[in-house]
Amino acid sequence: MIELTIDGRRVRVPEGTTIWDAARGAGIDIPTLCHDPRLSPVGVCRVCVVDVGAPALAASCVRPCEAGMEVETSSARVERRRGELVELLMSDQPPPESDARETSLGDNALLELARRYDAWGGSLPRQADRPADASSPVIAVDHQACILCDRCVRACDDVQSNEVIGRSGKGYAARIAFDLDAPMGDSTCVACGECAAVCPTGALVDKPLDSELRPRERLDPVDSVCPYCGVGCALTYHVDRARNRIVFAEGRDSPGNQKRLCVKGRYGWDYAQHPQRLTTPLIRRESAYPKGPLSKDVRGEHDGRRKPGGIVDYAEVLPAFREASWDEALELVARRLSGILREHGPDATAGFGSAKCSNEEAYLFQKMLRAGWGTNNVDHCTRLCHASSVAALREGIGSGAVTTTYGDVRNAEVALLAGTNTTANHPVAASFFKQARKRGTKLIVVDPRRAPIAEHADYYCRIKPGTDVAFYNAVMAVIIDAGLADSGYIERFTENYSELRETVARYTPETAARICGVDADTIRRIGLELGRAKSSIVYWGMGISQHVYGTNNARCLIALALLTGNVGKPGSGLHPLRGQNNVQGASDAGLIPMMYPDYQPVGDPEARAKFERAWGRPLNPEPGLTVVEITRGALEGRIKGMYVMGENPFLSDPDVNKVRKALATLDFLAVQDIFLTETAEFADVILPAGSYMEKLGTYTNTDRRVQIGRPALEPPGQARIDWRITAEISSRMGYPMHYDSPEQIFDEMAALTENYRTLRYANLGKTGKLWPNPDPERGDGSEILFEDGFPTPSGRARFVPAEWTAAPELPDEEFPLVLNTGRLLEHWHTGSMTRRAVALDRIEPEAFVGVHPGDAEALGLAEGQRVRVVSARGSVVLKARLTERECPGAVFMPFHFREAAANLLTLDELDPDGKIPEFKFCAVRLEPLREA
Amino acid sequence: MGAKSEPSAIVSELTLLQERDGWLSESGLRDLAARLRLPLHRLESVSTFYTHFRRSPPEERELAVCRDLPCALAGGEGALARLSEREPGLKLREVSCLGRCDRAPAAQLDDGGIELDLSRGESRPLAARTAGPWAAELYSDRAEHYSTLRSRLAGDPAACIRELEDAGLRGMGGAGFPTGRKWSLVAAEASEPRYLICNADESEPGTFKDRQILTDLPHLVIEGMALAARSVGARRGWVFIRHEYAPERRRLAAELERAYAAGALGRDIFGSGFDFDVDVFVSPGGYILGEETALLECMEGRRGEPRNKPPFPGSKGLWGQPTLINNVETFVHAAGILSRGAEWWRGLGRGEFAGHKFVSVSGDVERPQVVLVPMGTPLGELLDFWGGMRDGRAPSAVAPGGASSNFLGADGLDTPLDFEALREAGSMLGSGAAIFVAEGRDLTEVGLNVARFFRNESCGKCVPCRVGSHKAVALVEREGVNPRTRAKLEELDATLSETSICGLGQVALAPLLSLLRGAPE
Repeated sequence: MIELTIDGRRVRVPEGTTIWDAARGAGIDIPTLCHDPRLSPVGVCRVCVVDVGAPALAASCVRPCEAGMEVETSSARVERRRGELVELLMSDQPPPESDARETSLGDNALLELARRYDAWGGSLPRQADRPADASSPVIAVDHQACILCDRCVRACDDVQSNEVIGRSGKGYAARIAFDLDAPMGDSTCVACGECAAVCPTGALVDKPLDSELRPRERLDPVDSVCPYCGVGCALTYHVDRARNRIVFAEGRDSPGNQKRLCVKGRYGWDYAQHPQRLTTPLIRRESAYPKGPLSKDVRGEHDGRRKPGGIVDYAEVLPAFREASWDEALELVARRLSGILREHGPDATAGFGSAKCSNEEAYLFQKMLRAGWGTNNVDHCTRLCHASSVAALREGIGSGAVTTTYGDVRNAEVALLAGTNTTANHPVAASFFKQARKRGTKLIVVDPRRAPIAEHADYYCRIKPGTDVAFYNAVMAVIIDAGLADSGYIERFTENYSELRETVARYTPETAARICGVDADTIRRIGLELGRAKSSIVYWGMGISQHVYGTNNARCLIALALLTGNVGKPGSGLHPLRGQNNVQGASDAGLIPMMYPDYQPVGDPEARAKFERAWGRPLNPEPGLTVVEITRGALEGRIKGMYVMGENPFLSDPDVNKVRKALATLDFLAVQDIFLTETAEFADVILPAGSYMEKLGTYTNTDRRVQIGRPALEPPGQARIDWRITAEISSRMGYPMHYDSPEQIFDEMAALTENYRTLRYANLGKTGKLWPNPDPERGDGSEILFEDGFPTPSGRARFVPAEWTAAPELPDEEFPLVLNTGRLLEHWHTGSMTRRAVALDRIEPEAFVGVHPGDAEALGLAEGQRVRVVSARGSVVLKARLTERECPGAVFMPFHFREAAANLLTLDELDPDGKIPEFKFCAVRLEPLREA
Repeated sequence: MGAKSEPSAIVSELTLLQERDGWLSESGLRDLAARLRLPLHRLESVSTFYTHFRRSPPEERELAVCRDLPCALAGGEGALARLSEREPGLKLREVSCLGRCDRAPAAQLDDGGIELDLSRGESRPLAARTAGPWAAELYSDRAEHYSTLRSRLAGDPAACIRELEDAGLRGMGGAGFPTGRKWSLVAAEASEPRYLICNADESEPGTFKDRQILTDLPHLVIEGMALAARSVGARRGWVFIRHEYAPERRRLAAELERAYAAGALGRDIFGSGFDFDVDVFVSPGGYILGEETALLECMEGRRGEPRNKPPFPGSKGLWGQPTLINNVETFVHAAGILSRGAEWWRGLGRGEFAGHKFVSVSGDVERPQVVLVPMGTPLGELLDFWGGMRDGRAPSAVAPGGASSNFLGADGLDTPLDFEALREAGSMLGSGAAIFVAEGRDLTEVGLNVARFFRNESCGKCVPCRVGSHKAVALVEREGVNPRTRAKLEELDATLSETSICGLGQVALAPLLSLLRGAPE
């Protein structure tokens, strides 16, 4: 500690503390423009200068305190110099009445100083010849207003690691610049908005989305959580209550996202305000029977050309429905479903809940089906996502959740990113991975697609599609051969090691190299890196899980972590990056066919007895059907009635042609959603739900962080919050549900679980809490699990060896290419939200198929040319995008686009353990279209 | 920590790319970014900062013409006009000081190192012009070169530092920091490795003495560096030299080769077990790089923008490691003191003053050139001994320490050349560059020329310098000198001198104001 004097006050601070921080700690605010406590200081604006008794003043944001220093932070001399600095900056600023920030958000920090020092730049010659740049869909750039404070540069480089913004030129002519001085909209900018969030002037300002920007004082801040991915970024919506509009979103400080957001979180919330929101219950007209698809796209008559907005044409669909009262609609749902229960038994019904809904809603939904209807046929899109990972994790370590957080990457010597396009699908988590790499963590990226994260990797391995098991088995063989297996850990915490050793021994690097296409030396190097690292975390995504051998893929990753003793200590662990904002929570809440809340098996008599007591009904002991099995069941006539809450299986499930038939075959389908989805075209009743923005509830992110989402908007028209609709249906079907609040539901659920038991709305705080959490009043919860054994019967983790098997549908002469499907940064799943978000739609408006330039050349296919992609199950037409990110011999299609639905092509083969379909591997051919 | 031992590849890669293509094309930069795995903005930031790099294809023939004070005083503009008439195909580009104020107005044709002597209207290949003999030369025979190093290697490194402290040698690059103390600070640092840099980025108008030293005494520069390296425990060194000094670079390279061959550099120097390697780092251009932390930023492959200090390079320099940075001349004098002793050095000065000093004499003088004079020599004598003012005119003002030093009036000509004496007189010794201005010159124009130089060379990092240097010039250009603008300039000067990050901003307006203050209202 050193002692110094600031404005006459004695202050003691640790060595290395800057004067600015020391003053702040003493309650003295020193003005600044370039400094932001989240960014490393650069000391360029000089507004924070203070007098330290030297001839020159010292920039307090960069000057370390020295013992005995006497600092004056606001002497007449200091204030005079600050005033002159502001005068200098103001001399070239746009007039306040036309400044982009001041006229919209009213928080121009330079103008605040101009007012404070009454310095408006008038004493100096003005030069106003710097251009504006309106090319970005979300951010307006005004170089005239830029004061080169470097905040945006640091936000882009150091915080988000997107590395787009730099400076061009020198001296007075210097400007910020994107890439090689491209217009922002043409640059590699991914529109995360971090630059505009930190800009103190009108230089970088968000463009208004669907309503005018306004000063925050005139808006109501609502602390909530982002509705998109499993990263679960804490954010604040600034709401215009009078107009029932979100005006802008801002990242909120949390142990997770630390204020960061991505393009979806920052600019993708306006879907909730879209005019196509459902506002009235709808009942299918008699004339619209027999049921079938209503729009051309859903009939499969699409040509891949984009219609305005790329979304459902209501004019095509709405005539098939009539408006109804809630009473009539709910009565109809209850009557028809009760009829099916009576006639065909509980297992003739099924329900899809949603990982977009809250824990409370997931809990109520499965409770209604299990206790009210008597069936376990309840599932949700986790089946399409990490079901295989969860199966492998439960089998291997007794728990399906992550063993550590994404932020723990900072402590990892090595991080393995397996089959994850993180910058697109978990952008904020990716920002922490990239940042960790800059601080010394080695990144190993393994993926057939060279995703952007590969550019940050120390090692990038392009394995051939579907060869993960061979690759990882060989990596493990290398580790064992090199004597780098952690025998102490293996002995103490695991079982079945000899079986693993035997299996992987057959996968020499040379053998694996022939299968996976990565040369043996690289496999050896990767093995040695992982074997020697004192700590390593495996993060994985859909590239691992969405295969018929997804469980085997995950088994390998689990074995790899156990083999090196990398579970249960900082910087170590297993982390399947969860997709949906609440896929962890929905699974925790029992929205899966074989488990009650908190993974208590329905087949376990003890667990069943517990829930029968709690729910007051006898429960069905048979595990229910999974998503794709339910669809097959419908096709085969075994499933007759369905209730779908917030899912859109028509686009999200494999083999759309089969799904279309299945949905049309159902006797009764109730769809509850915020928009008229493709699935809703097959509905008998459509129930208008409240959106995420309109309700209170808890959501559990990929880290197991349980956070509260709060209502920012009023539901439009007669739309109702999901849990209220579910409770009403349940009551009308003879299983009364009376709840006053989500909190009451949460408490009921928590009391039935081990992991949520200690959590209450009151103790979740502003940034939520991790489960498990022994003391949520005081602690954030357990970041790292299994420090001392595993929740398995033996207390040990189990090595489950896996053999490599080829994909079920290999390319052949007719279908020579592999189709991989996935997501884009700007879009979410079936596009029902993001394609209705103005900015996101503008950035990625249309479907495409990604093709390696080498393959394209062989086909005579040019960039942007339309091409028919054909599989044994169907075909779509869309534009080609040539990129070396694609693996030679494989093409990639995002599945967001109804007009070129990727799932028309995929096959519905299932993983035997996780029951997850094969989304990442089917055989296709490309037929370039010769047309104008 | 991940200390790296090589300067960043960025600057040299950009240089190679430009040598290959003649300029830096977008596709060339994209390929380079992919190969070096760097974000594009990094190459944008670096390639647009340095004057050497072109982002557009070059003209057929381009003549770089210096616009700074000594060249302006030598009638650069008129000569240019004549030249454009004679050679209409020639594209003229105004540049900052080329370090050839002794042949003002200075110009340079293309990058190829052709020198054009405007005053004579002829061109010839650029060649190093020797001068001397110099009293600073320690050896009468080339065979004796590096013998000081040989003998000192046997002794205690700390003794070298004590010798320098006894001599009272101060840095000759401008700031005048006591050399012995600088070496002892680096020597006392615990962190390894330590680096050594010879700052040969002389770029201030009126300053060209290091060019002469590199031409005539390169062996003493290298010997001084090796002695310093031994004293502070550095094993790697660089000479950071401006790209315009191509002939001098060749001289230096030849001498480095000789030194290696003689065993004075490299592994196990003279069998002492001490290793020291020296490389040349060619500056991509810009006065600011003479500022030692800007120089470091450049070597690390970033924009040459000065760092906030502390920490100083002595504790955290290149790649965050302790780094000794001295000027070319400082190394020569250090070698002299370590050869002949502190006593010898002190005896070189006049009266109470110690040592001698290379001084660049330029401006309105008959024979602009580098001279070596005893410390304490009155400024006016610089004229008396070497031909006097051009056309016999009387001097009206002199900047004794280059463009960054305040001008003294004719009454200041008695001031002895000395750090303290010149400071007391209201100016500074700086790097030792006396620019004389003759009577009859428009002193506002002279001051404005200097202010424009600093404006042009401002790196743009900090607000006071970037905006203030620009606005000050614009103010005078637009409104002239009147009581309001005078007061405003004083206010700006105070702001720049007290809040700028580095010396450039701190002195940017001072020379102009020194002339205005001397003039009648």
